Amino acid sequence: MTHHSTFTIERRLAGSAAHGFSFWAQPELKRRWSSCHPDWRELEYHMDFRVGGGEISRMVTPDGVEHDVISQYQDIEVGRRIVYAYRMIVDGQAASASLATVEFADTSSGSLMTYTEQVALLTGAQSASALQFGTETGFERLVLEIERDLVLSH
Amino acid sequence: MEANTDTAQLDRMFQALADGQRRAMVDRLSRGPASVKELAYPTSMALPSALKHLAVLESAGLVLSEKVGRVRTFRIQSAALADIENWVTTRKLNLNSAFDRLDAAMAAFPEEQS
Repeated sequence: MTHHSTFTIERRLAGSAAHGFSFWAQPELKRRWSSCHPDWRELEYHMDFRVGGGEISRMVTPDGVEHDVISQYQDIEVGRRIVYAYRMIVDGQAASASLATVEFADTSSGSLMTYTEQVALLTGAQSASALQFGTETGFERLVLEIERDLVLSH
Repeated sequence: MEANTDTAQLDRMFQALADGQRRAMVDRLSRGPASVKELAYPTSMALPSALKHLAVLESAGLVLSEKVGRVRTFRIQSAALADIENWVTTRKLNLNSAFDRLDAAMAAFPEEQS
């Protein structure tokens, strides 16, 4: 059975909507924040920001598990909205297929970024969850991730 | 509604893990099931407060408990952790971390420079 989920993350950003947008649109700016695994080895990275173009990222974890993210831009409204479809492949198995919408709106103090993802979880998600959480180290990583998140959000 | 439920669950999980003593309990349970006494002993915590902490972890879906005779045993909710919903939780955590970095990167490269 396919499991679906939709979730939204809202973030207030210090810069304008146009500025926030550029950090998704320009490869050199996007790479400043999008990759977060200094210990993962990069096999391939490519970004072509236009409707029909996409982003490909293939990485290998220190224990040799390949994580691929393959995206295609569906709709772009400069400075306001990006819609892209992406799939995640873990260890050669499709883990998820998603439609992500990122919207940017100016506010009095900066901008509001709203990220909405509609995800279909596929077979690989189960085994990837097992990979990530099945071991003590996996769980410690999750706790560390949450701790890091708490530190950053305070 | 689904998103709200997810958020509430995530809130509970964050709150549960925001406490060092509770993280120590989770760490201990990740090595195997334990009784309240075994969990309280290493930190010389009183049993009632150990139970209070465990209740918080249990409502966050991080641990499970089972009473056999007079002994209540706690274990890590590995089924839940392997559960597919956690894929979404993990993705949200990763995205939030990425967006923290986005915010920092935007501050480091203000408008006029980009």
